[in-house]
Amino acid sequence: MTWSPSRDVIEVQRGPDPGGLGGAYRAFGETLRGLKTTFGRLVEGPVTLQYPEEKTPVYPRFRGRHRLHRFEDTGLEKCVGCSLCAAACPAECIRVVAAENTPEHQVSAGERYAAVYEINMTRCIFCGYCEMACPFDAITMGNDYELADYTRSDLIFTKEMLLADPVERTPLRREGE
Amino acid sequence: MTSPSQRFVTFEIDGREVTAPEGAMLVDAAKYGDVEIPVFCYEPKLGQPVGACRMCLVEIEGMPKLQTACSTAVKDGMVVVTTSDKVKSAQNAVVEFLLVNHPLDCPVCDKGGECPLQDISFGWGAGRSRFIEPKRHFRKPIELSPLVAIDRERCILCYRCVRFSQEIAEDYQLVFLERGDHTYVGTHDGHPYVGPFSGNITELCPVGALTSTTYRFRARPWDIENAGTVCTLCPSQCNVELTTRDDNRVLRVMARDNTDVDDGWLCDKGRYGFQLFHSPDRITQPLVRDAGELRPVSWERAMDEAVRGLDRAGERAAALVGGGATNEEGFLVQFLMRSVLGSPHVDSRPGAALDREHALALSRPDLSAAVADLDSASAVLVIGAELVDEAPILDLRVRKAGRRLGVPLVVATSRPSSLDPNAAAVVRYAPGAEEALLGALAAELSGGGESHPRQGRAGRASLHEAAEQLGMRRPSGDSERARLAGAREEELRTAAEALRGERPVVIWSERLTHGERGNEAVAALLALARALALNTGDGGGMIGIPRGANGRGLREVGCAPNMGPGLGAVDQEGLPATALPAALGRSIEALLLFQADPLRTHPDRSAWERAVDDAGFVLAFSDFRNETVERSADVVLPAEAYAEKEGTVTHPDGRLQRLRQAVGRPDGVRAQTEVLLELVSRLSGTRFEAPPAQLTHLVMDAVPFYRGLTLDRIGGRGLRWQETDAAGRLPQAPLPDRELARPPEPPEGLRLGTGPSLWASVETDHAASLRFLAPRQEAQLSPEDAERLGVAPGDEVEVAVNGTGVRARAALRSNVPAGSVFLIEGTREDNANALTDGGPRTVEVRKA
Ligand code: SF4
Ligand code: SF4
Ligand code: SF4
Ligand code: SF4
Ligand code: FES
Repeated sequence: MTWSPSRDVIEVQRGPDPGGLGGAYRAFGETLRGLKTTFGRLVEGPVTLQYPEEKTPVYPRFRGRHRLHRFEDTGLEKCVGCSLCAAACPAECIRVVAAENTPEHQVSAGERYAAVYEINMTRCIFCGYCEMACPFDAITMGNDYELADYTRSDLIFTKEMLLADPVERTPLRREGE
Repeated sequence: MTSPSQRFVTFEIDGREVTAPEGAMLVDAAKYGDVEIPVFCYEPKLGQPVGACRMCLVEIEGMPKLQTACSTAVKDGMVVVTTSDKVKSAQNAVVEFLLVNHPLDCPVCDKGGECPLQDISFGWGAGRSRFIEPKRHFRKPIELSPLVAIDRERCILCYRCVRFSQEIAEDYQLVFLERGDHTYVGTHDGHPYVGPFSGNITELCPVGALTSTTYRFRARPWDIENAGTVCTLCPSQCNVELTTRDDNRVLRVMARDNTDVDDGWLCDKGRYGFQLFHSPDRITQPLVRDAGELRPVSWERAMDEAVRGLDRAGERAAALVGGGATNEEGFLVQFLMRSVLGSPHVDSRPGAALDREHALALSRPDLSAAVADLDSASAVLVIGAELVDEAPILDLRVRKAGRRLGVPLVVATSRPSSLDPNAAAVVRYAPGAEEALLGALAAELSGGGESHPRQGRAGRASLHEAAEQLGMRRPSGDSERARLAGAREEELRTAAEALRGERPVVIWSERLTHGERGNEAVAALLALARALALNTGDGGGMIGIPRGANGRGLREVGCAPNMGPGLGAVDQEGLPATALPAALGRSIEALLLFQADPLRTHPDRSAWERAVDDAGFVLAFSDFRNETVERSADVVLPAEAYAEKEGTVTHPDGRLQRLRQAVGRPDGVRAQTEVLLELVSRLSGTRFEAPPAQLTHLVMDAVPFYRGLTLDRIGGRGLRWQETDAAGRLPQAPLPDRELARPPEPPEGLRLGTGPSLWASVETDHAASLRFLAPRQEAQLSPEDAERLGVAPGDEVEVAVNGTGVRARAALRSNVPAGSVFLIEGTREDNANALTDGGPRTVEVRKA
């Protein structure tokens, strides 16, 4: 089928012209109606948060930067490097390379541990599937959302970064807030 | 080969009419109707079903109890139900039962994601267990061998590994120990399970109980990709699948079942040898000798030097092509030599040249058997070959033919063979006396005993009677030949008896043609072929096992001093590898070693040492700094591993198979075909360029009987050229009908026999997991000789010829015939080739 420009022209249907007085109301009346809300709120004072000095608190279930966990008693890593999180991840941003524990080098509780555990935060969509897939609750989504960085490669989080003590930069919303 | 024509039966499964081959087990027959019946222990590769796991229970109308579908053959009109409540509850119960002692620790288990137990529990299990008692515990994981780890808690006692060891590899090492719920898998004597095929059990185990130490925890199925190619570490050329991950390394090698080639098994060299691809010692940069030292240089510099060296030598250059080279590479090397440098000297065999007439006769399609023909052979003769060392997968195939299909086996070797216990007849002869032995066997077959079924019973019988009346029971000369072969006449007679039949298949080692009298040996082999009437019928034939993995292909594309591509005649015959040492440094100046290491693999080591020292220029394509390279190479170009190659190879039975690149080459390694093309271009002044597919096309065109074969036709399963129309283009060669020459008198004294070992190889040296298998030189002696020489088992001895000695550990074997001593070829140290020179040798053995 050949393309004829006339077929793609859309005719705009305009409403009826309101005329002189109606026109004036449309120009000013509606504006004033909007401004009523503005001035009404003015008395409440500013609500802008002075980010980064001040931060938006998040709900406890907010899905932010991941964390890997250790057992509190033994200090061993909970992650056994099973790669199930990597299988579940829709963005394919987790890379796990497992290795075998030895008595001299016991990293996790099972036979197997994650020698490499990387999450590419530039690709993560924070869906939380990894957390759900993990059979050992080894990975959870934290609350931190401040993930900007200067280079992409810095956004590949390694196991050490994920295991490190949680960053407590993000305030949680208080009950009822 | 004709197999009995298949009949089909119709039966009903889950209310559907299905047609399936007669005699098929219900499990397989159900697949024709798209019904899946879960199985654990059923594995057709392992032979008869055992019905051990009960996972496959189905209801069959007219039978009061549920039946195992894996061991019930389908019958016409059978009515089978797989979905009834009765079957469902049985399946649930079996899964629950199997999981009673199973830890279900899938996240740490290496099988997770590719585990039949996971799949079946999910698909057919009830999803719950009533078992709350403690499960059984074992120490885990432990080494079943350095290559295989075993986790006994996960074992579901399906028998597969044990059956493999007992019925396929026939090493009888794995057994079930204890009884009842104490049963566990182990070796009968508690020693590690080490054998040439042990790795296969990791692929067979349906759970994570047996895992290979080299792959454990390296990746999950969703992390990997599998690339199909062909293993070129030995002439069996098994079809393999290489598992790779994101780091561009091969992580494991798995079998890619091809019943025409490997039956789905791999040897451990093939399975674990992949580690050599990523060895830190691998050469990944061109090297040039500079003030006596090999130093890394740029490709430009190395190529300049290579071109200069070859150009200077011109027609005074020679090339040796190693067995791992593809047809394309071999073709290019011989093209470089013959058409560009004008030198006729190119060889790929470590021995003397094969007469062209003989090569043509041996290649005749009617004389050549396919691997699958072994299954329907009337008898199999293995001659001069220790298959487990030379082509391990054929060893399994021969065992299968004997055990499962009842094919009688005749073993004729000088060294005691591991196939002896399976053989209907064994013939022992003196090392190096193949010619006499073959002649004697041929004479025995065409002379005495029963007449050959195809040679007119009546005529033969009357001849026989006449002979008897004349008082000559057997044609004279037989016993003389037997004496020259050092073989016993009764043994020859039983062997001949076993071989009379419609379709015998002869597996012979090309090693018997490598000696000085190699061509006489081939003549005798062809006489044997005639005596067996291999050339007249539809069945039977021969399979020659070359020394190199692609020995057959290399010969057919022209890497022979007296034959061009397609076994064609050449204007000028070159020097075979055996004559090169004498010529190097005199009439030959430059040597091109294409993945060849003559100091390790060629006989007459001292001559080669002198020769490579005298050579003016040595250019080597090599993946490691082997001795030849270290000692003599002036320019070294890094070689590719087979996982990095594109091209074709030819199986000993004539099957062309395709290599496909599975991983990228390490930085600094270039495709060898590309490098060869560059050498051709620069030396000839004409630009040659061809991408791999085009190069294959070129080769297929250059070899008349490959013509018309394309990569597409070869495909993933390969194609025997004998089965294509092009086979008719093989120049006709009659079977010689000459009187066989008289074999020479055997030398007096202790005779030396040498043979390759599966583990005396580069792979063993450089693959970390295999290193423990590297053999030490061992002198196998008969107890009589040992007593005479005052040698006790385990003694350090020196085996010497004319003052040259090789140190070895003495091993006494009762089945070694007195008067012979055997050494291993190709060991890293104390290589037996220091003593060999292609002729029969007598040695002295003394305590060191
Ligand atoms: S949150 Fe979702 S996208 Fe991000 S790593 Fe987990 S599974 Fe992948
Ligand atoms: S985080 Fe959890 S799911 Fe991911 S590898 Fe570790 S244990 Fe497995
Ligand atoms: S063998 Fe299979 S079911 Fe058993 S733990 Fe391993 S993956 Fe899970
Ligand atoms: S180790 Fe594996 S193959 Fe062997 S019996 Fe147990 S489950 Fe079967
Ligand atoms: S598969 Fe039939 S009993 Fe195991």
